[in-house]
Amino acid sequence: MTIFDPMLWLIAVRSLFQHRIRTSLLGAAIAVVTALLVSLAGIYVGMKTTLLVSATTLMSGHVNVAGFYKSTASSSAPVVTQYQKLREIVQRDVKDLDYVVQRGRGWAKLISDTGSMQVGIGGIDIVNEPGFVKVVQLKEGSLEGLKQPDGLLLFEEQAKKLDVKVGDKLTFSAPTFKGTNNTIDVTVVAIAANIGMLSSWNTYMSDTGLRQLYQLNDETTGALQIYIKDISKVRAVQESLRKAFAAEGFELMDTDPRPFFSKFDGVNRESWTGQKLDITNWEDETSFVQWFVTILTVAATTVIFVLTVIIGVGIMNVMWISIRERTREIGTLRAVGMQRRSVLAMFVTEGFLLGLMGTTVGVAIGGLASFLLNNAAIKLPKGAQLVLMSEKLIVAPTAGWVVFAVIFITSVITLISLIPSFLAARLKPISAMSHVG
Amino acid sequence: MNSIVSIRDVVKEYELGTTVVQALRGVSLEVMKGEFLSIAGPSGSGKTTLLNLIGCVDTATRGVVEVAGKDTAKLTERELTDLRLNTIGFIFQSFNLVAVLNVFQNVEFPLLLQRKLGSKERRDRVMNLLEQVGLHTHAKHRPSELSGGQRQRVAVARALVTDPLLVLADEPTANLDSATGNQIIDLMKELNQKKGTTFIFSTHDHKVMQHANAVIRLADGKVLARESAKDAVAHALSLGEAPAEAPAGARV
Repeated sequence: MTIFDPMLWLIAVRSLFQHRIRTSLLGAAIAVVTALLVSLAGIYVGMKTTLLVSATTLMSGHVNVAGFYKSTASSSAPVVTQYQKLREIVQRDVKDLDYVVQRGRGWAKLISDTGSMQVGIGGIDIVNEPGFVKVVQLKEGSLEGLKQPDGLLLFEEQAKKLDVKVGDKLTFSAPTFKGTNNTIDVTVVAIAANIGMLSSWNTYMSDTGLRQLYQLNDETTGALQIYIKDISKVRAVQESLRKAFAAEGFELMDTDPRPFFSKFDGVNRESWTGQKLDITNWEDETSFVQWFVTILTVAATTVIFVLTVIIGVGIMNVMWISIRERTREIGTLRAVGMQRRSVLAMFVTEGFLLGLMGTTVGVAIGGLASFLLNNAAIKLPKGAQLVLMSEKLIVAPTAGWVVFAVIFITSVITLISLIPSFLAARLKPISAMSHVG
Repeated sequence: MNSIVSIRDVVKEYELGTTVVQALRGVSLEVMKGEFLSIAGPSGSGKTTLLNLIGCVDTATRGVVEVAGKDTAKLTERELTDLRLNTIGFIFQSFNLVAVLNVFQNVEFPLLLQRKLGSKERRDRVMNLLEQVGLHTHAKHRPSELSGGQRQRVAVARALVTDPLLVLADEPTANLDSATGNQIIDLMKELNQKKGTTFIFSTHDHKVMQHANAVIRLADGKVLARESAKDAVAHALSLGEAPAEAPAGARV
């Protein structure tokens, strides 16, 4: 008699049903843990997805070709020269390419009639930015305005701080990469809904306007943002680009998984001058917010682990009770010719079924909870918004996580049930049959 | 007739704390195929221990126990289980049916363990046996829905479903009233005569004992005699043992 024998399953199902209160309590506990795992996974996936979509659209490509230009050893500018040639290499060598855009990068003082603030500037070519249009949610104005050299997009929070609305004029003031100071006037053409941390310190203007502010030529930009069809191939694309650029005679910085603004000090301490390319990926550029995801992952894993242990102990105790109650039955079955492995299979089947039923209910509860939480559109606290680049809690459990939750928890419960089941199988028929209790 | 059970100088000792209790003290016994043999004796005489050794659910401390020509001391746990499954049928005093299975499933269970028959053959054999024990209309009932006699009849059917060479019954009528007990014994006797299955059953009830071809009389872990049922009953009555169903005041 093997684990696949219908009779074992029948005995397991009926035994569970016969002790329905115990089964219900334990099944409910398993369901709660599973639901929690599914919901936490949903939050994790939601955060990762939001972060990925927002960050890879607004501040990074899947892979970035950026770098620093140093006119002297101690002064660096976060720009890449000859970007047209670089783009051609990208288009030629990246097999899985979706699209590639160039972005200017800057850091300037933005002055309104009533106040000022230091902001980052992304210089975008809105016509060639299909992803940007999808991610940014406009509250006021139009992205069409970014086609104008003086067009500026602000986020709600910035607009509120500077007390401006669409159509208002502001001034950017920034030191150029040549060491002189420059100012340009810009017009607010669009105000977008806040997108986490970006809303605090980043703005977008036309690429032409940014070039004017920093007095850059047409061959220079901040970075090439490369979008590929299969994001899992990011590292392979990075490696192939490094080889391709090196083969074309470009100087490359060592791989450094940090965002570009963290690298200034290190670059300025190095003695080289001229252009060096820096190939990064989206995780590198968003690593300053990834810690939050890591902390949440660790916390969620710990919670799940602790709950699983508690449930595991409960399962083991219940199996002990069940085996004690059924010792005479085990003895009888052994006496009539049931092998030890079949007794083991019988109890493991019971543990497995209990786990499977509990996790199935748990997945349903977790899925429903995720759906309700999403629909409730719960506003995140300010701190969480900053790092998650989202105003609302997004819970998006994937099919993969659901399957994982079912398999993981059911497996743990089945494995735990092995211990008492093994001891039940070791019982001698004569001892089991003469058991009193 | 060939021997199906051969027991030679068997000793069985149990340890109770620091005390060693001898349940069997040098028992020797031959049981031939087709016998309808009763093991009689008072409580504590070693009846159940002897049946357990023959049934391969326990092992002797010393001596030889051969069942169907196999020395049980030389068999592995797995081989002993196979021997129980394929050669021996058990009928227990307390019926020992699986509570969560219905009558049909309880009887079918040993066949599933054997994995020799297809589902239709299994069904036919189980239903045939249930008909023989008069429970074919109760196939879907759970044990809890049956009377004691009906349960024991299910146990008889389960014991016989694999066509074993040997059926062991430990006080099969002890938990039944005398009329039902007689029915069970009659049923066992009928199956013994029809199929030639060897039956060994323990009892201290004269009315049950009298159905046997022969009676092994045990006392204090020793075989006192192997005698005819008539002699065994007479002997028991001469010692003043009352029939099990008789009221206490009727003892002579």
